[in-house]
Amino acid sequence: MKSLRRFFARVFGSATHRSQEERLREEIAEHIALQTSDNIRAGMSPVEARRQAHIKFGGIESMKEDFRAERGFVLLEDLSQDVRFALRSLGRTPGLTLFVVLTLALGIGITSSVFSMLDALVFRPYPVPNSSSVVSLVGTTHDSSFEDFSYREYLDLRDKTTSYDGVVANSTMEAVGFSAEPQATPRIKGGMMVSGNYFHVLGVEPTLGRGFRPEEDQVPGRDAVVVLGPEFWHHEFASDPSVLGRAIRLNGTNFTVIGVAPDTFPGILIFAHPDFYVPLAMARVFTTNAHKNFFEDRDDRELAVRARIKPAVSLQQARNELAVLAKDLERQYPQVNRGRSATVHTQFEMRTRPDDGNWKFGVVFIILSLAVLLVACTNVAGLLLSRARTRTREIAVRLAIGAGRLRLIRLLLTESVILALLGGIAGIAVGYAVIAWFHSYRDVIFMSDLPVLIPFRMDHRVLLICLVLAAVSAIACGLVPALQGSRAAVVNGLKSADVDLPGRKRLWGRNALVVAQVSTSLMLLTAAFLMYRGFKSLVLNGTGFPTDHVLMASFDPRLLQYNDAQTRNFYKLVSQRVRETSGVENAALSQNIPLNDESFDALSFVPDGFQMPPDRDHFTCGTDTVDERYFDTMRIPVLSGRNFLSSDSADAPLVAIVNEQFARHYWPGADPLGKRIHLDSSTGTLIEVVGIAKTTNYMDSGEKPMDFVYLPLSQHPIPHLTLMIRTTNDPLQLVPPVKEVVRTLDANLPMMQTMSYEEFYLNKAVRGPGIAVKLVAGMGLIGLFLTVAGLYGVMVYNVTRRTREIGIRMAIGACSTDVLRLVLGKGLVLVGFGMVIGLVMGFAVERLMDSMLFNAGRVDAVVYLVVVPTLFAVTTLAAYLPARRASRIAPTQALRYE
Amino acid sequence: MTTNSKSKADVLQGTLALMVLKTLDVLGPLHGYGIARRIEQISGDLLAVNQGTLYPVLLKLEQEGAISSEWGASENNRRARFYQLTREGRKQLQAETQDWQQTAAIIARFFQLKKEDWS
Repeated sequence: MKSLRRFFARVFGSATHRSQEERLREEIAEHIALQTSDNIRAGMSPVEARRQAHIKFGGIESMKEDFRAERGFVLLEDLSQDVRFALRSLGRTPGLTLFVVLTLALGIGITSSVFSMLDALVFRPYPVPNSSSVVSLVGTTHDSSFEDFSYREYLDLRDKTTSYDGVVANSTMEAVGFSAEPQATPRIKGGMMVSGNYFHVLGVEPTLGRGFRPEEDQVPGRDAVVVLGPEFWHHEFASDPSVLGRAIRLNGTNFTVIGVAPDTFPGILIFAHPDFYVPLAMARVFTTNAHKNFFEDRDDRELAVRARIKPAVSLQQARNELAVLAKDLERQYPQVNRGRSATVHTQFEMRTRPDDGNWKFGVVFIILSLAVLLVACTNVAGLLLSRARTRTREIAVRLAIGAGRLRLIRLLLTESVILALLGGIAGIAVGYAVIAWFHSYRDVIFMSDLPVLIPFRMDHRVLLICLVLAAVSAIACGLVPALQGSRAAVVNGLKSADVDLPGRKRLWGRNALVVAQVSTSLMLLTAAFLMYRGFKSLVLNGTGFPTDHVLMASFDPRLLQYNDAQTRNFYKLVSQRVRETSGVENAALSQNIPLNDESFDALSFVPDGFQMPPDRDHFTCGTDTVDERYFDTMRIPVLSGRNFLSSDSADAPLVAIVNEQFARHYWPGADPLGKRIHLDSSTGTLIEVVGIAKTTNYMDSGEKPMDFVYLPLSQHPIPHLTLMIRTTNDPLQLVPPVKEVVRTLDANLPMMQTMSYEEFYLNKAVRGPGIAVKLVAGMGLIGLFLTVAGLYGVMVYNVTRRTREIGIRMAIGACSTDVLRLVLGKGLVLVGFGMVIGLVMGFAVERLMDSMLFNAGRVDAVVYLVVVPTLFAVTTLAAYLPARRASRIAPTQALRYE
Repeated sequence: MTTNSKSKADVLQGTLALMVLKTLDVLGPLHGYGIARRIEQISGDLLAVNQGTLYPVLLKLEQEGAISSEWGASENNRRARFYQLTREGRKQLQAETQDWQQTAAIIARFFQLKKEDWS
């Protein structure tokens, strides 16, 4: 109680110290006066009386100090004093302050936004309670250690393991035709099949209604119930609670809404938030693989399995148990489980799997952004160091009148802490901007009808990182200047305004800063330029066919469980009726959208009569399945032979069209027409080459010319096709008529990826890669800017420091060219060192990027021919300006400095 | 040097505070100089402390609520700060007097010990 009261009195005392100080002064004066008059009464002379009174009272100042210590918190008060002092001295040089804050803001902002990326990809925990106990169960084979499980296997995992408090399964998110009312045209949404215990085991309480019951996931096809995702509920149903019990239509089947997942659980995947969840037992409505029986086939592996590990069970125990179970399964089902085992992974292990490139990209970016932050910090440290040096005299005075070294360091550190805090706050703004910029590219990056999203966001974790980065940079850029500044020698500091004792170590530190800056920005610029050049060559090369005046729309009749005849009929009719629509020049069906890299299959084949190398039994190449109008519609010339014909039916001899590249590769110098290839292996079906098409880009606009085989759709029916429509005018004008055609054929069939091909091409080949290039180029330019500013600052400082020396040199006969050479030479040596180190780092980055991004595997000389001279010119200019200033120093003035 | 003088002041402050409280208890409201003079008189000038050290102690007591202060007129007819014991302070004085007497009694008994008492 007493101490509490004193605490408040002290806090209050700190706040009101001015009036308190006044009161004390008055009390002391009165005390002395009373004592003096007593002394006079005792017979002393007035002067002596006053003197004795003072002696008796003791040291007024030291008492005042005690009084102050008693009154408030000394630390707090010192701190506020330091802060005020620091603000004042920063305010005196607003330009420098602004520059430093901007520098730090760039470094911190970029690093934190990149961290938000890496956080989303790797570190962010599952949005479920006690998320650390959720592990993933995966199958392992010789080729992959992250295999999904089949439904039957999931049941075994669920029922035959003891290490877990519940085992759940979910399918990947799939495209589902959704309509809120039966008569509305369906739209494509993303649905996820989950096991009946999914919400219960993960600990997710629906905000509305309930989650699935285990019995709703027992009988295939019986319980058509659906739980909505929170975002879907907000957007599609305007958060209407009466949605419970309502029926919605999914892939043509009615489902009853029984619950809404909470906002805290948008979904367990990183890049996608499911619009709704349905039980695994309803798989017949959602699986698109007509040749597999989801509930029976043990090799229909579509389920990701997660489990809550029991607190008492170690990861190793769980792994052992699962390995034993996998052995049993291998024995029981040798034909589908041969060579298969299973293991348990933590969330972190799942997210840093070696076959996933996203997080590696994040790591590369965080290294690059830390490099930017490093440049920023070294730069700021350099500037603060210069400042500390120009304040040598002030610091010497402080030391002389009794300031402790620690106190002085604190004073100087306060300045950098304030700078870093301001930089951190501005950095948050920069981070927000960068993340918003990312989000503006959502459609370019994903181009999907599904609810995929960019998971990067500015949350409390990222804000925390901002703070940590600010604190680290405060120490990084403030400690060295503070330590050096406070070490100033008192006597020398007072003697002259500008001291420099010959200290090799100190200069070494300064030079290292410059070298680090030059080399880091050289590395960044190299990386940016490499990416830019790689990207430029992609765009310039073109695709080999025109990309304009084409509308595309994809269909998947499997969603509505069409049989083969129905599918064939649908595509025949839709293609025919669209062609009859006015404004349509031609229309063709194709398995793949050109340049949609992830959708292409590989074709295994053996050319007939070809001597296979001993170590392989087949070749592979790219393939697409197209109808007879494809080449005309896409304007890809068939150079010799014939096009596919409607007579190439299922019972006619099998035919193929290959590209020039393929023909040259396997039959050099011979006429490829009439040649035959075996599908799959040397004993596979024979197909005859009837035409040669021009080589274009197929999967990616940056690919090298590749072997490619077209197969006729009529001989290889495929359910998921894209209709490519060549139009006479703006392709988007044809969207409504095409929609109407589809609606009259089947009102339940959704149209997917309806967009102009031009748009698709731009997103895929131009805008997408452009993002990465812009990002790295931005970082490189920031790095260059920082380097120039940093080098300039250091050079200016060097010149100021050596003003006297230069004055003496000139007084004893050096001319201005000598001085220029002296100062500039010093700067250029540093630039040279930095460049050499930067080149080494640049080569390393090039290796890294080759292996991760472009696979070029060669040194790009042009990049170095551009970057190195540019950097050299710019840094030389930064060094030249101060050097020129030094050469114009008037000796008379310089020597008067003393 | 600072630490040494500080520790000495700390020891003094404890007893000084008690003396201040007692003085105010006996003599009623007094200003700083008055308190200093009384303490000096009572201790028979044995306590040759710097009078200045009194003020931090006064502030501490005031913050603890043991004394209160207000402006009044001194013998010189000038403004002076008069200190007064509060109810809280009286309680504190009682408690500390007891403590002090106890401590003093214990110390006194220890000083009376002779060697044979231990055998």
